[in-house]
Amino acid sequence: MDIFLQQLANGLTIGSMFALVALGYTMVYGVMRLINFAHGDMVAASAFVGLTIYTQVMGQATSLVAVIAIFLLSAVAMAIVGVILERVAYRPLREAPRLSAVVSALGASLVIQNGIMLIWGPRMRIFPELVPQVYWDFGGVVISLIQLIILGLSLILMVALYLFVEKTRMGAAIRASSIDQDAARLMGINVDSVIALIFIIGSSLGAVGGLFIGLYYRGITFNMGWQYGLYAFVAAIMGGIGNIPGAMLGGMLLGLFNAFIAGYVSSTWADAFTFILLIVILIVRPTGILGERVAEKV
Amino acid sequence: MKKLQRFAYPAFLLVMAILPNLLDSRWQAVAITFLIFSVVALSQDIILGKSGMFNMGQALFFGLGAYTTAILNAKFGWPMLATVPLAILIPALFGILLAGPIVHLRGDYLLVTTIGFNIVFVQAVQNDLGGVTGGPNGIFGLDPMNIFGIQLANQLAVYYFAFAVLLATLWIMRNLEKSKAGRALHYLRLDQLAAESIGINTRVFKIFAFGLGAGIAGLAGTVYATQYAAVSPEAFDFIQSVLFFSIVIVGGSSIPGVFLGVFIMFVLPEIFREFATWRFFIFGFAMIAAMILRPRGIWPATFGKIPKFLIKESNHGA
Repeated sequence: MDIFLQQLANGLTIGSMFALVALGYTMVYGVMRLINFAHGDMVAASAFVGLTIYTQVMGQATSLVAVIAIFLLSAVAMAIVGVILERVAYRPLREAPRLSAVVSALGASLVIQNGIMLIWGPRMRIFPELVPQVYWDFGGVVISLIQLIILGLSLILMVALYLFVEKTRMGAAIRASSIDQDAARLMGINVDSVIALIFIIGSSLGAVGGLFIGLYYRGITFNMGWQYGLYAFVAAIMGGIGNIPGAMLGGMLLGLFNAFIAGYVSSTWADAFTFILLIVILIVRPTGILGERVAEKV
Repeated sequence: MKKLQRFAYPAFLLVMAILPNLLDSRWQAVAITFLIFSVVALSQDIILGKSGMFNMGQALFFGLGAYTTAILNAKFGWPMLATVPLAILIPALFGILLAGPIVHLRGDYLLVTTIGFNIVFVQAVQNDLGGVTGGPNGIFGLDPMNIFGIQLANQLAVYYFAFAVLLATLWIMRNLEKSKAGRALHYLRLDQLAAESIGINTRVFKIFAFGLGAGIAGLAGTVYATQYAAVSPEAFDFIQSVLFFSIVIVGGSSIPGVFLGVFIMFVLPEIFREFATWRFFIFGFAMIAAMILRPRGIWPATFGKIPKFLIKESNHGA
């Protein structure tokens, strides 16, 4: 029972990180029908940017204000990178065959990943201890302050995003663009700005996810974007890609699944089990758990 | 295009046939790598380019072939040549079995599932599934290939073995294009619904394409195992699949395009070794630039002998 509760806590923490990153994939896919393969590497880049802001700009301060500033500055930096990425690599290919955009996304992923390597070096770096190491022991189940912060802040961000998309005019524009871009344009929605907006939101959520990964796992490497990105991407697909609540659900499910596999089976098999779960879900529900069944247009 | 087929192909093949005699052993090894990866990229082209299925797990079939050869040789003492039929059949069978339940998935979902298969394979091999895969280190110390008394002990002999496999692959691709199956795949890539409505059993042909592509990749795996006398999990990683995927799309899914792609991805880095750390950074930019400038690939494929005035430009397919 202890293992169960402990892995439940761990799973929720990992799951909320996956969910934050998955939102970036799913929002971009929803409007552009494009798998943004570079998103995972942006998440990794965010951790390195956060590291540099901590050492160079903040003078290694760990006060609350400094930590908030690190989060905000990293998010802004990645939002800018996201907008540039869209302008350079994706916008020219909107009318091109689908696979060309996929290859462009893979190219962007290689550029960002290896850009990180060229700037920060190929070796693992240690992410600073921004949050004090506080633990609570509930009868054998240990929960850290970092876990609570990750879980709490992720939930706040996800609820905020959900309200933004469902309740505001800009949110309505996003929803309209994801249903039908041409119709949205005819209704006077500037689809280009909507796309820029989703890259800003997706990238800054991913940036927060990247900093969480740094805080939680401590070791950050230039190529970790592939690994965490792939997991988040799987979460987005599981939930039904393009569907925002689906990404949150998928992320949480995947986090829990991973934690239980690590707790009860073996962590060396975690990737394989994750993908087997995904394949089974897709065979049973070809568009994910919350994905709509879209009839093929003729 | 016709002129090219008549003169450029024989010339290219002639050069490739003479080439290894002019190279030292390091460059012979590079040339062999070029041949092996060309075969894998061509097999990927059958699934991705010719049939339009978003397959990003081709390294799985390549690896299955290589591991079949390695396991049969190192653990069961089969001669290398005897492993060839199984190294084709097992990946082909896996291709058919794995494709069966997933070919109906829409593009991007298919892509993720094939990534998934690739990752499951690599992890199974790393965890020494069944105690025969050698775990993270792989299997090494394989015997040299012995073809009816001729020992492929030196690089030159392995080169010609790889070259023969490439020629066989080219021959299969040429026949495929002129056959019923090739036409069926072409139609179903352009418009699945239309293909179905003119009586093409799309499911059968999709699975056929997977089986064929997987079998050829498996044979390339045997050549790989012969060349290195070893196999290890990271050679068949999902990243390799990404490279094969990109080669086909950037090349434009044509045979010269695939050769060009393999040359750029695997041979150029050998020439510019001092830029090794910059390799993927530059490739990334090149991939974006190539797609923006030529969205249909550097060397787009043409199909059959359809007169130009009958072809209407459209954005569909590809």
